[in-house]
Amino acid sequence: MSQMEMPLVIFTVLSQTAVGLVAISAIRQHAADGPAGSVRPEWMTAVLLLIAGLVASLFHLGHPLGAPMAIKHLGNAWLSREALGIGVFTALVIVGFLSARGRVNAGLSFAAAAVGLIALFFTGMTYSPPGFPALNNVMPFVFFLLTAAMVGAGFASYFTPAEKMPMITRILAVSLIVGLVVYLVVPFLWLSGGTVMRQTGLNYIFSPLYWARIVVGLVVPLIAIWRMRTVPAWVPVLVLAGELIGRIAFFSLAVHASANMGGIY
Amino acid sequence: MDKRDAESVKQAIGCPMSRRKFLRCLAAAGALAAMPGGLLRSFDAKAGKIIYEGDYEIYRNACPRNCYDTCSIKSYVKDGVLQFIEGAKESTFTDGGLCVKGYAYTRRPYSPDRIKYPMIQDGRGSGNWRRISWDEAMDMIAKKLVEINDKDDSMLGLGLTKYSGNFGITNYAVEGMMTSLGYTTRLVGTPCWPAGIDAQNYDLGDMWCNDPEDMVNSRYIILWGANPAWNSVHTMKYIYAAQDRGAKVVCIDPVFTQTAAKADVYWQVDTSMDGALALGMARHILDKGLFDKAWVEENSVGFNEFADYLRNEITVQWASEKSGIPQQQIVEVAEEFAAAKPATIWIGYGLQRHVNGGATVRSIDALAAMTGNVGKTGGGARYGHMRTWGFNYHALLQKRPEGAKGFLGGKGPKGDFDFSGDEEAEYTDRALNINKTAEMLLTADDPPIRVLWISCKNVLSQDFDRPRMLEAFKKPELIVSVEQFFTQTVELSDIVLPVTTLFEESTINASYWHYWLSVNEQGIKPMYEAKSNTEIAAALSARMNKLKPGSCTFPTEVDTRQWMIKEFNQDIYDLFGIDSWQDLKKGPAKAKMHPASWHDLEFGTPSKKYEFRSDLCAQHGHQALPKFKAARKPYDKLRLLTPHTKFGIHSQFINIDWMEEFNKKPYCYLHPTAASERGITDGDQVRVFNKVGEVELEVKLTQNVPADVVMMYEAWFRNNAYNCQNVVDDTSSDMGKYKTGAPGVAIHDQFADVEKV
Amino acid sequence: MKKQLAFYIDAKRCIGCFTCAMACKNQYHQESGVIWRDVYELKEEIYPHRERAFYSLACNHCENPTCLNVCPVVAYYKREADGVVVHEQDKCIGCGNCIRSCPYGAPRYNPVLKRAEKCSFCWQRLDDDRKPACVLSCPTEALQIVDLAEFDEANAVQYPAGFPRYPSLNPSVRFRLPAMPKMIRRKL
Repeated sequence: MSQMEMPLVIFTVLSQTAVGLVAISAIRQHAADGPAGSVRPEWMTAVLLLIAGLVASLFHLGHPLGAPMAIKHLGNAWLSREALGIGVFTALVIVGFLSARGRVNAGLSFAAAAVGLIALFFTGMTYSPPGFPALNNVMPFVFFLLTAAMVGAGFASYFTPAEKMPMITRILAVSLIVGLVVYLVVPFLWLSGGTVMRQTGLNYIFSPLYWARIVVGLVVPLIAIWRMRTVPAWVPVLVLAGELIGRIAFFSLAVHASANMGGIY
Repeated sequence: MDKRDAESVKQAIGCPMSRRKFLRCLAAAGALAAMPGGLLRSFDAKAGKIIYEGDYEIYRNACPRNCYDTCSIKSYVKDGVLQFIEGAKESTFTDGGLCVKGYAYTRRPYSPDRIKYPMIQDGRGSGNWRRISWDEAMDMIAKKLVEINDKDDSMLGLGLTKYSGNFGITNYAVEGMMTSLGYTTRLVGTPCWPAGIDAQNYDLGDMWCNDPEDMVNSRYIILWGANPAWNSVHTMKYIYAAQDRGAKVVCIDPVFTQTAAKADVYWQVDTSMDGALALGMARHILDKGLFDKAWVEENSVGFNEFADYLRNEITVQWASEKSGIPQQQIVEVAEEFAAAKPATIWIGYGLQRHVNGGATVRSIDALAAMTGNVGKTGGGARYGHMRTWGFNYHALLQKRPEGAKGFLGGKGPKGDFDFSGDEEAEYTDRALNINKTAEMLLTADDPPIRVLWISCKNVLSQDFDRPRMLEAFKKPELIVSVEQFFTQTVELSDIVLPVTTLFEESTINASYWHYWLSVNEQGIKPMYEAKSNTEIAAALSARMNKLKPGSCTFPTEVDTRQWMIKEFNQDIYDLFGIDSWQDLKKGPAKAKMHPASWHDLEFGTPSKKYEFRSDLCAQHGHQALPKFKAARKPYDKLRLLTPHTKFGIHSQFINIDWMEEFNKKPYCYLHPTAASERGITDGDQVRVFNKVGEVELEVKLTQNVPADVVMMYEAWFRNNAYNCQNVVDDTSSDMGKYKTGAPGVAIHDQFADVEKV
Repeated sequence: MKKQLAFYIDAKRCIGCFTCAMACKNQYHQESGVIWRDVYELKEEIYPHRERAFYSLACNHCENPTCLNVCPVVAYYKREADGVVVHEQDKCIGCGNCIRSCPYGAPRYNPVLKRAEKCSFCWQRLDDDRKPACVLSCPTEALQIVDLAEFDEANAVQYPAGFPRYPSLNPSVRFRLPAMPKMIRRKL
């Protein structure tokens, strides 16, 4: 993936943020006692993130008008399943937003969150092709789940009542710690793989993009949360920026299997 | 096709073609034309189905470049546009395939870089080109020619340099045009193979090789300085076939070539010491009594003197020291070669591009002859041949204008492909050595070269001592180039005339290696304003006669197809077993010749025998016996080799954008030891320099080249100033004057050093 | 086993001449930078002499083609009769999923048409009883077309060094390894 693939960077990060936002919203509303928070603006934000992401994704296609065709291959293609999953998820979120009266119906909330997570799994499968040995595994799904958790929790903090801020802060802090560990370990794990996987690992370790995402999206937010014991308003923005940088790295630093043709694999 | 469609096609093909435009143009032109055929097709045919025979007009073409293989081409044309080409299946040699260069031809007529119109450059080398009409161009040139003829009272101020850019027979119209203007100055000789031609003429009486397809019959093959894997790809299958039948293949080359990689044994000989190696092998064969006593007694002269020379002055140990090949190896291969019957040697052209090149070829010939391998199928000292070139040379043979004056006392051949048959006359053309073009242009006087005509040649990329050539190109008053692309030669010309590609003209092609003959039909209309060399000659003649009636005898109207037909004669028909040239439209024909050259053992030498001792050779100032001749003394630290690349023929093909996909830029090759001594690492930008000049390019480290060699390939890239002739001087090789009019040139006796930039 | 056409790459005979690659360009006039068949040099770790041994590779027309599996618009199909994997470019929406997915790098992006494309095994030529352009062009018969249902060559390998191993795709390609001559180098 020698290109930055900006449309895919925006689409994946924003849609995953929406999944995280909706999932945390469902938990906060229905699995914890206390006030629900600003649910309607929260779901409207999810809708806007999804629409922005979907629009961005069209720019990735050579022929955007063909986008509706993309669900033709549900039998085999993870991309078709992803398109359908995100489509259904978006529809549920819109219904949730429109029907929200202080809270979104519990069943609908959890259904939307569940569909979102399934769509996120499909996305993970779509971006773990055989063409990229370093990514042809569970890692993309893990990365995407972390995006949902980190940016989703970060954004959720905007809509969370003070009573429930400790919970959100905990979710975000734990997500960031897990993310930091994963991102620090994975490139070094790649170094022990075959030539192409190793090359991907080296690309990460020597790329400013990789270190920028660690510092901007993980270390600084963690320190801020640690010190302030809550989520300051600027932290989610930083986490999002880190994710965007990290996703550019994801698309541009992975080495394709065919790049070493004629060499030892 | 309605008018609008026709217009859109014209527009589409009238400018550089992208693939989309190419397809769109087809759709536009083909929609109506394809209807009847389309209706007949079954309805269930999958979309995109193609009928190859039937949906296309198919033409016969042939690659006219200076190449062993001279491939016969089948061209598929639709709606006036060349779609794709294949090798002609009818030729067992080509067998349906071409090479990487050949397949790039499809792009050539439509290349965005093609010269489209006659153009004039305001200020030689300035790059300020502007379009002019053919009339204007011809007018300017004709006026200049009339002017110099008036000034000098002869046309000797008009010089021609032409070589192997297009070997289509009708292209001899360029020489014919010169003759038709009077006595002119010709740059004669050949940089290619002259020393070896003379050597074979001294030994055998002609250059005549076995049919390459006959190599399957060989039990032992020595590929000596030949790299068919790059330069004659279609011969490789015969070598493989011989190998599959148990033949051993030995490759002898200073460089571990692609051919060497396919051999059974590779010998990394010290460059230009091949003669010593051959003589060492000969001495061992003599000592062991493995030579063919009956053959040499019956069919040769001077063998005993040669044997005495070997016994007195040659030892295997000496040969080993000279060549770098261990004695044990020399002994082993010599014995195997002598014992295997038949055994053959392919003598490559690079091997004779040395100051001792002719002598080297003679000693290798001797090795083949003394083992009785000459005149046998599966045997032979293979170099090349001209036995299938008996055309009429109608385009070439023109009359001089009435009262033309020329050069007094000149005679001799005008190159390797000299078919002039000039009648005995008081005057001749003035002959200058093509291999010293820079010097000749600078020193020719009374008259100097006032007008230089260049066709089928990229002088600035291919001739030697380029720094001096740049000086020389300042001297002529007018330089005219006939070209397809803006080469480095065109850059230093005043007028450029666009010339047709093989698909846009009619001609005929023979090979100097295999025995096949191909007709080249015009399959598409010339793109833009291109004209063939024949048409250019006619256009110039028309203008000359308008300015000064009787000043040019060349016909003013020509039909290139008719001129192609005029090249045929009964001897050609008999040799190829055809009734008419029309038969060649069904596919190429092979000469009905014995596969073994000299099979009747009637040699062309004065003695009619194989001459180990050639008195003629001695008369010409060389050694009578195939004795060792010393190499050129090194003038710098490393030997410099500038052989062919697989992506081009000399300067051709490398510039085509399709070729750039696979060969983007030039490299030089250096042994890791030589590199580390100079602090050079792989991928560095380096400067290769010597007393002649310098070249800058990227280095690749490899043990394919010896540690005392730096190698880079001949090439002309369209977007790169690279030129290997900046570091090659014009020192002559020993032989070549006898048969080609001028000695060859020691292209591989060059030396240089390398440093990191 | 069902008929499955495959490319047989005889690296012992291959001279790395790029004729096959250019024959493909000659047949299909791909846009600049779009290459269906390329000739890959074996690195020195695999063949010790630089630029002297090669694999000519295009689409491997896999038994289980990733390109086909991942294509969201079903622009690929595998022919029943001979196993050739065909990309129908007019159906393609240019999502690039096949390009990312194929580990052999066969599908390429056509920047002008904004769609993917790849080696078609010259199925139109096959249907007209002709060899693929590349196979026909090879001057040394180092590139051949074989039917895996009948192919029985003892020395053939599917995954030689220098060619990535993806058994789940089961690429329809077989190789013969390059050989080396006895080397006699002079001493310096």
